Amino acid sequence: MPMDQVAVDHGHDAHDHKPGFFTRWFFSTNHKDIGTLYLVFALVAGIIGYALSGLIRWELAEPGIGPLTGMMEAMYGTTGDAAIEQAKSFYNVVITYHGLIMIFFMVMPALIGGFGNWFVPLMIGAPDMAFPRMNNISFWLTVGGFFLLILSMLVPGGNGVNGFGGGWVLYPPLSAMKGHSGPSMDLLILSLHTIGIASILGAINFIVTILNMRAPGMTMHKMPLFAWSMLVTAILLLLALPVLAGALTMLLTDRNFGSQFFDPSGGGDPIMFQHLFWFFGHPEVYIMILPAFGIISHIVSTFSRKPIFGYLGMAYAMVSIGAIGFIVWAHHMYTVGMPSDMKAYFVAATMVIAVPTGIKIFSWIATMWGGSIDFEVPMVWAIGFIFLFTVGGVTGVVLANAGIDHVLHDSYYVVAHFHYVLSLGAVFGLFAGWYYWFEKMFGVKYNKSLGYWHFWTMFIGSNVLFFPQHFLGLNGMPRRYIDYADGFAMWHYWSSIGYAITLVGTLIFFVGLVEAALRRRKAEANPWGEGATTLEWTLPSPPPFHQFNELPVVKTEGGH
Amino acid sequence: MAEDVKHDYHLVNPSPWPLIGSVAVLILAIGGVVFMKGLFGLEKGTTWVMLVGLAMVIWVMIGWWREVIKEGRTGDHTPVVEIGLKYGMVLFIASEVMFFGAWFWSFFEFAIFHGARVGETFDYTNPIFAEGLSRFAEWPPVGVATFDPFHLPLMNTLILLLSGTTVTAAHHALQHDKMDNAKLMLILTIVLGIVFTALQAYEYSLAQFTFDGTLYGSAFFMATGFHGAHVVIGTIFLLVCLLRMYAGNMTAKKHLGFEFAAWYWHFVDVVWLFLFAFVYVIPHLVLGH
Amino acid sequence: MYLWLLQNRMECSLRYLLAFITAVLSSAAAFAAEPTPGALGFQEPATRIMERVDGFHFFVLIIITLISIFVLALLLWIIVRYNKRRNPVPRKFSHNTLVEVVWTVVPVIILVIIAAPSFSNLFYQENEPDLEAIAESGDLDDPNVFVEAAEQGWITIKAQGNQWNWTYFYKDVLDDGGFPLEFVSNPLHVGTSIDAPVTPDRPRLLAVDYPMVIPVNRYIRYETAASDVIHSWTVPAFGVKTDAVPGRLNSGWFLVTKEGTFYGQCSELCGKNHAYMPIEVRVVSQEAYDRWVEIMLSGDFDAATEFVQTITPADESVRLAMAE
Ligand code: HEA
Ligand code: HEA
Ligand code: CUA
Ligand SMILES: [Cu+2]
Repeated sequence: MPMDQVAVDHGHDAHDHKPGFFTRWFFSTNHKDIGTLYLVFALVAGIIGYALSGLIRWELAEPGIGPLTGMMEAMYGTTGDAAIEQAKSFYNVVITYHGLIMIFFMVMPALIGGFGNWFVPLMIGAPDMAFPRMNNISFWLTVGGFFLLILSMLVPGGNGVNGFGGGWVLYPPLSAMKGHSGPSMDLLILSLHTIGIASILGAINFIVTILNMRAPGMTMHKMPLFAWSMLVTAILLLLALPVLAGALTMLLTDRNFGSQFFDPSGGGDPIMFQHLFWFFGHPEVYIMILPAFGIISHIVSTFSRKPIFGYLGMAYAMVSIGAIGFIVWAHHMYTVGMPSDMKAYFVAATMVIAVPTGIKIFSWIATMWGGSIDFEVPMVWAIGFIFLFTVGGVTGVVLANAGIDHVLHDSYYVVAHFHYVLSLGAVFGLFAGWYYWFEKMFGVKYNKSLGYWHFWTMFIGSNVLFFPQHFLGLNGMPRRYIDYADGFAMWHYWSSIGYAITLVGTLIFFVGLVEAALRRRKAEANPWGEGATTLEWTLPSPPPFHQFNELPVVKTEGGH
Repeated sequence: MAEDVKHDYHLVNPSPWPLIGSVAVLILAIGGVVFMKGLFGLEKGTTWVMLVGLAMVIWVMIGWWREVIKEGRTGDHTPVVEIGLKYGMVLFIASEVMFFGAWFWSFFEFAIFHGARVGETFDYTNPIFAEGLSRFAEWPPVGVATFDPFHLPLMNTLILLLSGTTVTAAHHALQHDKMDNAKLMLILTIVLGIVFTALQAYEYSLAQFTFDGTLYGSAFFMATGFHGAHVVIGTIFLLVCLLRMYAGNMTAKKHLGFEFAAWYWHFVDVVWLFLFAFVYVIPHLVLGH
Repeated sequence: MYLWLLQNRMECSLRYLLAFITAVLSSAAAFAAEPTPGALGFQEPATRIMERVDGFHFFVLIIITLISIFVLALLLWIIVRYNKRRNPVPRKFSHNTLVEVVWTVVPVIILVIIAAPSFSNLFYQENEPDLEAIAESGDLDDPNVFVEAAEQGWITIKAQGNQWNWTYFYKDVLDDGGFPLEFVSNPLHVGTSIDAPVTPDRPRLLAVDYPMVIPVNRYIRYETAASDVIHSWTVPAFGVKTDAVPGRLNSGWFLVTKEGTFYGQCSELCGKNHAYMPIEVRVVSQEAYDRWVEIMLSGDFDAATEFVQTITPADESVRLAMAE
């Protein structure tokens, strides 16, 4: 590990010229400012996505069609059966945008745009990203994409309400003219195109930065694991997103220019879309989790005051997760009617991913083993992450078996699986990183007790929220249902109680933000002590507008 | 930025282009939907919003790249920055390759697995190659009159291959500071590119099938059309390089822009070879269309 | 909004809890062909396919529970043993080839152990049995084949998904004109005021007007297709789920070993009424089935449905759970 062998010479940049407010935040070419912009953006999008999930849980708290009908009256002035009919479509709209916002506009901007921008250059000892101006268009295109997405929620979908209600996977024919004839779906396609471009440009930026701008002496094999995770993530983005863009383009021309790619009446194939989508979609789930892996590695090592265990194994585990991630996509499609040999292949390939992931889990544990652990707020989140991600991961292994997926596919078991890896995995990683780097980024301290309270309410709340969904799924509860058979009522009810608990947690989170903003306790350069060995801790908090005007040198002797 | 910076990286000044560019894309996208579906009380088919967006996008591109060129000329592109730019271009092309991957993938799927959609199963016990080829033989579906690959398409293949050599020749000339030769070769490349586009357009006009209405037409025009668009972009890219040569801002030592245009051109060239082989030749050979 | 929820549902949750306890207590006897309040696992299997899935799930569940508990235990141990207070001086190691090999190889072994029954299950589900071979082999002890049923051959039924109901085609049941028996199976409940009253026989959101009827212990080949968007035909108790894709014909097989009523729900998002296109399958004796076919062919769907309704042995405990 390189961190403890670093000699740095910085400082003497007393005159820290920052541009004026507008120029600084709107025309930015500074990776830290852009990172902050991304985080603020993700926070806003996260609130919207979270509110939408509140609508889901509110509606599903009890059987029958309830609260959404009332909303129809407020939104469209309909009542009675007409309102119920609209509510059914509206529910589909809600889950669709919930999924899309959480994935593309909350987790990705926060982990990649936010933390990636902030800390990749700092950790590798670079003064900025390779293409600072392109970095900014990545951000603004993300905002533009979000604008299009919100707009698409507000214009007619062709299903009786505004917005597209075909699920985040956008399967045709439901997403074709047959299913949704309104302009909503077209806006949605272009929204995803837009953030696709944003992500591809961002990916190029990260790869070039990491390959070309490491501090003298920092070889690839000395590079911090977060940078490794971002490198792999960026490569996945670069190779997966264009395929989605292609699929979306075909969908767009099918809708508007009469082509028949996915239109069975012309010989086209809806399943083709699913292949293209999941060829992107599966790498996408690793795109969301790998940055969290990187963050957790640093936190675990910092607070155990031990170097990361099996550094190279950790790095190459991520590389192999990324590589295998490209050849397992059809495990989302076991029920579409594939030849059984093909299913068998995808079963085998999918299960293999458990091995490198296991290496990561156990290496984190080994890092803590023998350590002198300080249970600071980020460490608590990290430990929560490790356990909950494992729970989510092992249910993934269950789903990987096609035979059993024939029963569990499109049931709440899948919903439980992916919320454990996403909402309790990626988001826990996100909060871990947030509390780990908060002082570094914003230059003030947060209130630790609020941080613990936030953790415990979220930990308990999310488990009450998502654990019962396994039972629902096993018992046959299908996904994307506004209403369910009475036999499912009990666990749905508990699930909604869980949401109420996370509501408290999220409130505490915001109280913590406001408290920190008001109190303005001065941050230290390195609040975590000797365990924090990466380069960002050698700088003041917040770091100067331009850091490393003189590059830090990573000493090569010593080694492991 | 001139505080005591002791490294060779390029710290770019704040720039309005990203924000404007994003607004431009937004307008273009909304304009696209207005055109396709009608929105905000604007009739379907209304083009002006889209055109405004497009004009803005072009404006941003020009403004942005002018800035880049200026920075290149004023010494911001140090050797290490140049390496970064090169990586960047390679990665961009890699993502484009994946983009074309989507068209090829669907083309093959339609060609090989069309039976699956009428209830047949793919006989995967057969060696995949034999089975796949025999399936390919039924593609495009009977009744679709395809192009004879050995007329216009072959000519176009030769044209593109030739243009690949001329652009390389131009590069060599440029490296050896033989500017006139470089310009000549570049002009030749551009002309070949334009001829290619023209022939392609002519071929399109002869097509017996259309983008809308037939699956083969959709797959064919999408793949070759996107390629065509790339040829046009590549031609413009080369044209800009030519103008810059005349303006004297490309030298034997510094001509990254030209190098990127050349790489891009080769990429377009290689994509065409795949198109030629799989979209034109193989169905023709197997089926004898 | 949650205040409202809490107030309203307190008493409700008590009811769920009661139902839950009832369900758990009676689970040995209960015949769960439909969702049960508070259930923790699968609905009761009614086919060999689902029995195998059930067994496999139990097996994997144990493995993944052990893995999760193992990880949790390690974490707890670390929290107890290696905290700052008990271990003020951290150790410095960062390598140990042995454990690294172990935690690579052991998961591989576990995965292989999982994969073996998984593949065998998969191929059992996927590969349509060769009825002639089974009939000849006459192996009555093999739980995976059904010799007597094999002798009687296939029954082929096509389920076509529409927005938002299912059309069934009985391919071997031909009417006078030589066309297969065909009927549309509509949901009884769509969440609006036209809903039929809920009774134990007509559980909310699960019941249909004309159910699909099949004889017990017969090999059924089902095909799925769709007329508009993608749907998915599924019956959890059968362990069967196959997408109905426009332009494609998918197929599968099953053999139900228990008489009764089985419910499933469309399992691919298909638009507004996705939650309202249930699947109801009534499994009856061969004689009853033959009689049902006869009445259906006469065109009196109501009478036919009424007929299978009355002879179905509805399970009391399920009724109780539903009726409360
Ligand atoms: C962060 C996101 C994320 C991550 C990391 C994963 C990880 C995995 N996922 Fe998940 N998945 C999703 C997000 C994610 N998934 C989403 C969003 C969907 C639904 C999409 C939709 O339809 O809307 C989905 C759906 C999904 C399906 C399709 C289900 C269906 O629709 O029918 C499958 C099936 O194979 C699957 C499998 C897996 C597997 C095997 C892993 C593995 O990578 C997990 C590996 C981890 C572990 C196994 C735990 C740690 C390991 C050990 C402790 C070692 C020892 C373990 C063993 C030996 C088993 N996932
Ligand atoms: C990252 C992805 C993500 C996250 C975090 C979540 C979070 C939540 N999700 Fe969901 N969800 C999806 C991705 C995600 N989800 C997807 C892809 C689908 C499928 C859609 C489809 O079917 O098409 C889905 C579907 C889905 C369903 C199934 C709907 C259906 O099938 O009918 C349900 C039902 O309960 C649900 C609930 C919730 C709840 C209650 C939360 C949360 O409330 C849990 C608590 C989480 C938080 C509190 C995080 C809040 C974060 C912030 C506020 C931002 C902080 C930001 C910074 C610090 C910068 N989600
Ligand atoms: Cu039909 Cu969902
Ligand atoms: Cu996946």
